Amino acid sequence: MTSREGPAVDRGRVVLITGASGGIGRAAAVRFAAAGYRVGVHYLTNRAGAVRLAEEIDGVALGCDVADPNAVAEMVQTVEAELGPIDVAVCNAGFYEERPLARIDDALWDRTLRVLLGGCFHLTRAVVPGMRASGHGSIVMIGSELSLIGGADVAAYVAAKAAVLGFARAIARELAPTIRVNVVAPGAVDTPLLPDRDRGPGYASTVPLGRIGRPDEIAEAILHVAEAPWTTGAVYSPNGGVVIQ
Amino acid sequence: MTRPTALDRPAADRPVALVTGAAGGLGSALVAALEADGWAVAGATHHGGPYAADLADPAAADDLVRRVIGTLGRLDLLVANHAAMTMAPVETYPVDDWWLVVDTNLSGSFRLARAAAAHLASRRGAMVFISSEWGIIGWPEASAYAASKAGLIGLTKALARELAPDVRVNAVAPGVIDTAQLQVDADSAGVDLDEIRRRYAAATPLGRIADPQEIAATVVFLASAGGAFYTGQVLQPNGGTTTA
Repeated sequence: MTSREGPAVDRGRVVLITGASGGIGRAAAVRFAAAGYRVGVHYLTNRAGAVRLAEEIDGVALGCDVADPNAVAEMVQTVEAELGPIDVAVCNAGFYEERPLARIDDALWDRTLRVLLGGCFHLTRAVVPGMRASGHGSIVMIGSELSLIGGADVAAYVAAKAAVLGFARAIARELAPTIRVNVVAPGAVDTPLLPDRDRGPGYASTVPLGRIGRPDEIAEAILHVAEAPWTTGAVYSPNGGVVIQ
Repeated sequence: MTRPTALDRPAADRPVALVTGAAGGLGSALVAALEADGWAVAGATHHGGPYAADLADPAAADDLVRRVIGTLGRLDLLVANHAAMTMAPVETYPVDDWWLVVDTNLSGSFRLARAAAAHLASRRGAMVFISSEWGIIGWPEASAYAASKAGLIGLTKALARELAPDVRVNAVAPGVIDTAQLQVDADSAGVDLDEIRRRYAAATPLGRIADPQEIAATVVFLASAGGAFYTGQVLQPNGGTTTA
């Protein structure tokens, strides 16, 4: 960061959101920007979408594979250099693929774990030193309602998302009181990841609130838990009432 | 309700269980308890013995399940009990160590389940994954272990739905057990074994840590006729630590 003459300018708080070129991540980027944050907009392959979004919200687009711990560490350094210390990290990057157990090969299993769980681990270990130096920080991991209730043909996804819960709870204890760690575990949301099967009236009729969720609703939840000062180790699951237990 | 237990069957007709991590404190108790209930048990260990398997190796699970079925003729119960455990602050946790814990505990158990599922379905069998209290409540400096053990709970719920009604899938998430594993905890806390036992006991409503045999009894129950209507559940013998 270059220093300038004159009084320090309040550049606002900084959030880094992985998987922000579409879906829930994109909605979260827009919502955090509206709340006054400078946003690091991470993407894996959709560079054009991330760059366009970053221009719209005066953020920075950053491409890397969250499964690669060194690439994630470099990304965090870039954000800290260009936007300043990171106040909030949102571990959102992910993908969803349905396959019966017998057809989950080692490549899919490992990739699922490295992206969904590793994305959280690698980003956490990269942002924690800076957050410790700042004396505060907030990490939000995106889980899934499926990690709470299970589901057929999604063993890798569910195991990885459930592992995120355990990881978050462990480090919520470990990093308190300086850094808060929470999970937002959405139900079915209208994003490119959602199977077409779940878009119609058939699925909606099984949801107590009668519809799937919107990305902006999840973004609102992410911002809320990111800023809730007395909340850590919590799992907040906006899911239309699918999980009532 | 009185139903026959496995002990009532002739020896050649006894159901077969595969228990991983069989050399450890809980594992040896699991083998003894299942055998006492009439199971023929293949106890898999990291090294040595007829069922040696390094479950961090992706090829190990298929090979192990094949060996058990080849030797004992069938498989009715999988108890995934093996575990690796290290502790370190998350930001300095060596990445390779972190993934070794996750891949041994979670990926190794997944591969065992995948290897055994079709055969277990044909036998109307069961799986039990040994999770941990720390997979539910978390623990400082145990981020890899907690992630792996929470992941096993997700795996349990996913497979319970997917494999029903042919295979029942449950998890047991024990509290602190009095085994040699406690040395890792003691080292992390910088105290000796007696002190770590005392600390854990003081933090447990029942005022003590668990004996391996009482955790093994929970697994035997899930595998018995009395457990026949359980699937997708997480039983928590933990002395009351998760009531808060």
